[in-house]
Amino acid sequence: MIVAEDLTRVYTMGRVKVRALGGVSLTVARGEFVGIMGASGSGKSTLLHILGLLDRPDSGSVTIDGTDVLALSDHRRTLFRLNRLGYVFQDYALIGELTALENVYLTSLVRGDQKEEYLGKSTEILRRVGLGDRINHRQSELSGGEQQRVAIARALVNNPSILLADEPCANLDSQTSKSILDLFARLNEELDQTIVMVSHEDWHKEYFCRVVTLRDGLIEEVTECRRA
Amino acid sequence: MTAVFAGLKVSAFLAWKTIERGNTGTLALTIMIIALIFVNLIFLPSIISGVVETFNTQSIDFDLGNIVVEPREGSQYIGGVTGLQKKIERVPGIIGTSPRIAVGVTLFYRGSNTASTLYGITPEDERSTTRIADFMTEGEFLANGDTDAIVMGAILAGREGEEGGGLPSLEGVMVGDSVEVAYPNDETRTYRVKGIFETQSFGVDTAAFVTGDEASEVLGLHDQASVILVKTEVDGREEGYKRELLSYGIQEEVWTFREKTGGVLDQAIQSFNIINTISTLVSLIIAVVVVFIVIFINTVNRRRQIGILKAIGIDQQIIINSYVLQVLFITAVGALAGIVLAAGMTAYLTAYPLVFPGGPVYPVVETSAVLRSIASLFAVSVLAGYIPAWQVAREDILSAIRG
Repeated sequence: MIVAEDLTRVYTMGRVKVRALGGVSLTVARGEFVGIMGASGSGKSTLLHILGLLDRPDSGSVTIDGTDVLALSDHRRTLFRLNRLGYVFQDYALIGELTALENVYLTSLVRGDQKEEYLGKSTEILRRVGLGDRINHRQSELSGGEQQRVAIARALVNNPSILLADEPCANLDSQTSKSILDLFARLNEELDQTIVMVSHEDWHKEYFCRVVTLRDGLIEEVTECRRA
Repeated sequence: MTAVFAGLKVSAFLAWKTIERGNTGTLALTIMIIALIFVNLIFLPSIISGVVETFNTQSIDFDLGNIVVEPREGSQYIGGVTGLQKKIERVPGIIGTSPRIAVGVTLFYRGSNTASTLYGITPEDERSTTRIADFMTEGEFLANGDTDAIVMGAILAGREGEEGGGLPSLEGVMVGDSVEVAYPNDETRTYRVKGIFETQSFGVDTAAFVTGDEASEVLGLHDQASVILVKTEVDGREEGYKRELLSYGIQEEVWTFREKTGGVLDQAIQSFNIINTISTLVSLIIAVVVVFIVIFINTVNRRRQIGILKAIGIDQQIIINSYVLQVLFITAVGALAGIVLAAGMTAYLTAYPLVFPGGPVYPVVETSAVLRSIASLFAVSVLAGYIPAWQVAREDILSAIRG
């Protein structure tokens, strides 16, 4: 469960101060699929970065599963991201020299998991995202949709409490985007996976349980569970 | 400890995959540059060691023996040479002594003349002490009892129609020819050339030898010598033998060959070392620049990827270490390739040695020089790889991700 209270964040760009968040409070329950939407510059990515421990707010608090994550040291934050969070980025961010399987089990290696364990887990998660026959292919041999599926598998391999996705369909065509969103929805339903996803596509709303719309760094609207 | 080990395992995994599946052309080129830098690091020291080795060997074998006994201060000659020889040869480890009478003479041959040093020697003693007799290119070395014979170095003998180019030369003396020798006491003798030797040591190949009996007779000496050369059983322990000789009550001046040649050789080595230091510095700077550029470009191009790795929970030290391990691999393979190249170079220069005034110089690759080169190459490479990796890896995650 994520509890964020009164988050503010101001960026200084030269002499100009830009208010990215002006006091946002948000609670995401376990098993929710929350969409963060809004126009460009509304603060949605900033909010996701703060929830994902990639950035620190100027004020406010963030508690994830009871842990005050803003009080953690940099090293502890790294470990928290490794063990508790999963990320999916807009441009997949795979390591080109690694195969799909190696990209997926990389974080398990860091965790010190046993070889049989991480090979089994990674192969299974790749099969689950529909890449069972592509595990030994490298990034250059995969389509955009397949690469994003590898990134999702990488994010899920360590059973994270929360999956954070920053516009994961931005570089994909609508057909592939749909297949990725279907996959997210399936993970949310079957595994009760908590997902927080940033998007600016209106048609994505049908996948979210709840949509938080930001405008000028403030929550403009919260729309409860559109999906049945 | 487990976390550290797991971290190193991941670093090694990332490093190996990058090496295995990265750009092979860049990798091969970088390794080749490191190999050539390694060769450059050991080439000059091996030549310097070769020069020292050649100079020492030439000095011992042809010019000075291991130890030189000279007259006491104020005396021109050593007296009672026969007794002194026996005394010296009683010292354990002394295997030969050769008294020499040295005199500056002028040699005349068919209208040409030149000044040189003539040594009066006891042939049998000289054979036990120096190796000049083994390097006869024409004729024979002197024998005890020869009175009208002379042997001379190839440079002094010269070649017909060729001037010595600043070195003493009789321009074409052959075995069997007669040469006239004018001594400083105005005595003149005619000798038949019995043999010509070539040691490739300029100082020796410009000298001539007659028997000690002949020189003594001309100079009016009796059981006297300018110097006694001493040959020891083992090279390199001259200081010990010198102390032993002094403890036997020898009153004359006793020098090791290093003490006699030290000044000249030290100056040459100092000059060589300055060149070597400059060359080493330039080589290491090239290594730093090459490794730095390779890793810098690599990390800057992967700035976003490094940010992502940190975002998904991979510690920045793991990322830095993966680059350091890549550098270690490149340096290790480069040094290995360098050793192979250096071995090839050494084999070639051993077959076709460089010719220096002191004689042919064979490269002497010392283990310490190789280890020093490897250590310095690793040190600068790791530093040059660590800095750019550290610069990029410590960057704020969001800045890195935004590129």
